[in-house]
Amino acid sequence: MPSRSTPLRGVSRLKPAVLLACLAAWQWSAPAAAATSVADPAASAADDVNPAELPEADQSIKAAPTGQWTGLWSRQTLLGDMGGLRSALGRHGITLGLTEVSEELGNVKGGINKGLAYDGLTTLTIGLDTQKAWGLQGGSFNASVLSIHGRNLSASNLGSLQTASGIEADTGTRLWELWYQQKFLDDRMDVKIGQQSIDQEFMVSQYAGAFVNTMFGWPAVPSYDMPSGGPAYPLSALGIRLRAHLNDPLTVLGGVYDGNPAAKNGAFDPNGDPQKQNAHGTNFNVHNGALFIAELQYGVNQPAMGQLETGHGQAGLPGTYKLGAWYNNEKFGDLRYDDGGLLLADPSSSGNPQLHKGNYSVYAVADQMVWRPSEDSSKTLNVFGRVMGAPGDRNLISFSANAGVTLTAPFEGRDSDTVGLGLGYVKVGNHAQGLDADTAAFSGNYNPVRNSETIVEATYQYQLAPWWQLQGDVQYTLNPGGGVLNPSDATGTQKIANTWVLGLRTTITF
Amino acid sequence: MKRSKTSLAVGRNAMAALLAGLFAVSGAASRADEAPSFLAGLHKQVTLTNTVPDNGDQNPYAIAVAPVSAGKFKQGDVLVDNFNNAANLQGVGTTIVDYHPDSKELTTFAQLPHELPQCPGGVGLSTAMTVLKSGWVIVGSTPSNDGTTDTKGAGCLIVLDSQGKVADVWSGPNINDPWGNMAVIDNGSSATLFVSNAGFGVGSTKGKPPVVNQSTILRLELDIPEGKAPVIKSQTVVAGGFGEQADKGVFLIGPTGLAYGKDDKLYVSDALGNRVSEIWDATTRTTSAGVGRTLTQDGLLLRPLAMVTAPNGHLLVTNGSNGKVVEVDPATGTQLAARWIDANKAQVPPGNGDLFGIAMTPSGDGFYYVQDDVNTLVLAK
Repeated sequence: MPSRSTPLRGVSRLKPAVLLACLAAWQWSAPAAAATSVADPAASAADDVNPAELPEADQSIKAAPTGQWTGLWSRQTLLGDMGGLRSALGRHGITLGLTEVSEELGNVKGGINKGLAYDGLTTLTIGLDTQKAWGLQGGSFNASVLSIHGRNLSASNLGSLQTASGIEADTGTRLWELWYQQKFLDDRMDVKIGQQSIDQEFMVSQYAGAFVNTMFGWPAVPSYDMPSGGPAYPLSALGIRLRAHLNDPLTVLGGVYDGNPAAKNGAFDPNGDPQKQNAHGTNFNVHNGALFIAELQYGVNQPAMGQLETGHGQAGLPGTYKLGAWYNNEKFGDLRYDDGGLLLADPSSSGNPQLHKGNYSVYAVADQMVWRPSEDSSKTLNVFGRVMGAPGDRNLISFSANAGVTLTAPFEGRDSDTVGLGLGYVKVGNHAQGLDADTAAFSGNYNPVRNSETIVEATYQYQLAPWWQLQGDVQYTLNPGGGVLNPSDATGTQKIANTWVLGLRTTITF
Repeated sequence: MKRSKTSLAVGRNAMAALLAGLFAVSGAASRADEAPSFLAGLHKQVTLTNTVPDNGDQNPYAIAVAPVSAGKFKQGDVLVDNFNNAANLQGVGTTIVDYHPDSKELTTFAQLPHELPQCPGGVGLSTAMTVLKSGWVIVGSTPSNDGTTDTKGAGCLIVLDSQGKVADVWSGPNINDPWGNMAVIDNGSSATLFVSNAGFGVGSTKGKPPVVNQSTILRLELDIPEGKAPVIKSQTVVAGGFGEQADKGVFLIGPTGLAYGKDDKLYVSDALGNRVSEIWDATTRTTSAGVGRTLTQDGLLLRPLAMVTAPNGHLLVTNGSNGKVVEVDPATGTQLAARWIDANKAQVPPGNGDLFGIAMTPSGDGFYYVQDDVNTLVLAK
């Protein structure tokens, strides 16, 4: 199921009606909040006069108690201390995170059907610092729960391989991650054990995270080629991961996880919906082979703790380059040939695909800042690229790539905004293409051969408050599904037309 | 607070500025007889503790090491104050925590009321804090009611006894948001305090706040009678005119670091000017030296904040806009080295906005500093 990407932790979305209500509340509350805490009678003279600007005004300002909503528009979270709950938990080393991402996506042209769909994701995260809790340095527990709601536009209306939103998934509430991490050797190494979603650490592109399309998060190759899409949102798998900071620029990560995050006690229906087969995220399966993954990360112009500098020259621009590979030791069916060597499309085929031992992929990720006016400027121009390949005989997607450019602080006074333009490309594997051709030949029906799909996305993230972002988004998909027939076309002769999708996402950190 | 005649001589006069320009010292040149770099001799950074007390206050700013044992603290204890409250609103933090290096425990030394009537605008504890040999603690308040300078008060200096109880509050026309780390000459029964005031004329964060050049460096001469709280004998503005600016992200930007050095010189880190200035005749002058002479500017500095003197006499200055501490030889103005003490890539540049207070260890083999984004006290040694 290609519904995975790295969801933005700490942000949320609201339905339009809720949005309007919030905006109205903002208009009503903001001026009041600024005025109430000032005792100087001159403060009420005019809304546009700030008492602090008046001579000696700050000698007469009286302290006022802060309330639940004091400083709402300048703080990091909507609910602040939650009436004392956060600080009470904090005494025991517990942190509480709650985010809501909501979006309205609309297919305005092309695709299977035009239409609008609302979908959203609530993420509850609970962390525990063992040093604060019981004095064990460097340890942390993490548990997260997802509540996925709304309708999946990509599945019902688009028919694209590169699905429009990284949070689209089956609705429901599920356990996501549940792990313990321990640092050691002066934080040069750490180990993480438990149920993990590896899209949080592997194949991550820093600058691609600004985009909405799924494939800028968890890419197409693992989404389609790993069993059940791999241990990535909204699924996760039991495993262990080791990270070592080899020297200043080099870091290596390696992990081993159960090979199929949807299986239960070893049972798995390859024709069923993986998310339904692990509907609550509590299968805790360890019986379906193993996924091995390793990644080498190299930072350029990325300072390390304790690094000494004596030069006075301009610092170079930071970048991160990653090279990785994964291997799954399960058996994988060929997409064109059966176990007797016949074409699967052949009516005389057994229908049982030829089995390959294992599956693998190699990938590379690059993130590089390419311009900033000064070292401490909020404005930065950044580029990213990510490519990966997998064998085309056993995988639907044999190659996928992302690339793009982002600009932070694009306008005066908009230091926390980001604008971006991204490109995504996927190539259908050669045996899947062969199957399409074979099917046409044997059936005599029109059955186009899938080849590739390309998407272009333009996006703008606008920060209303540190805890609230709005994101406008436009996506254009060329050759949706790689060029498959449109299931809504009664003639059976039309491919899915190129698609325009418009979207508005809101992310709130509670 | 009392007001002396000398306090009227506010340090913004043109003659001082002219002198400062004539005697400006370049920081570019290097000399063969430089003392070895203190930073180069450090080996590691060790996170000592999370600094959040029971009430949830955040954003550790000032650090002061107790020179004596008294009341709640022992000699060598590290006191850290918090600028933010539990909702992370700036200028509302009211607590001072005490890290005990021997037991590695953290306790709350003082929890003040935000609504302290004698302090204009209330309490929001700043980077101005010191522990005197007599056991009194003096801490600055740069308060707000909503986390921004829109509701900031002029603040005050608060005198606490060694039990963390308020003994006196100093405010008045010469005090407006005592902001940066204090330089102190402590003789036991008397003391000289230098404190920067970064609030004069600073307004709202709305729109694009202007830079105003009204900050002052105030010298306070204290009498500390046996068993009684310190009293101010006199106060003199010894420098002023450094830039200040309201800021949405960091509340305000202004002169922050003060260090007293050889030959009666006071060093001032001028954050907006991206330089370190020196004020001559710091303990004896009766008029303001304006912005003084520029000791060093730009180079490795990037919004210099708190400052301390290392055992070799060099100045260590934390950068506000990246995670470096910079070593400066005050004799020559040479910037000897910078060390990354916060490389957190969550900020751009790494460590941007994280560093603030800095204090030497009692033995001088390293320094304490805070990472205010993650509320930790760290030891570099």
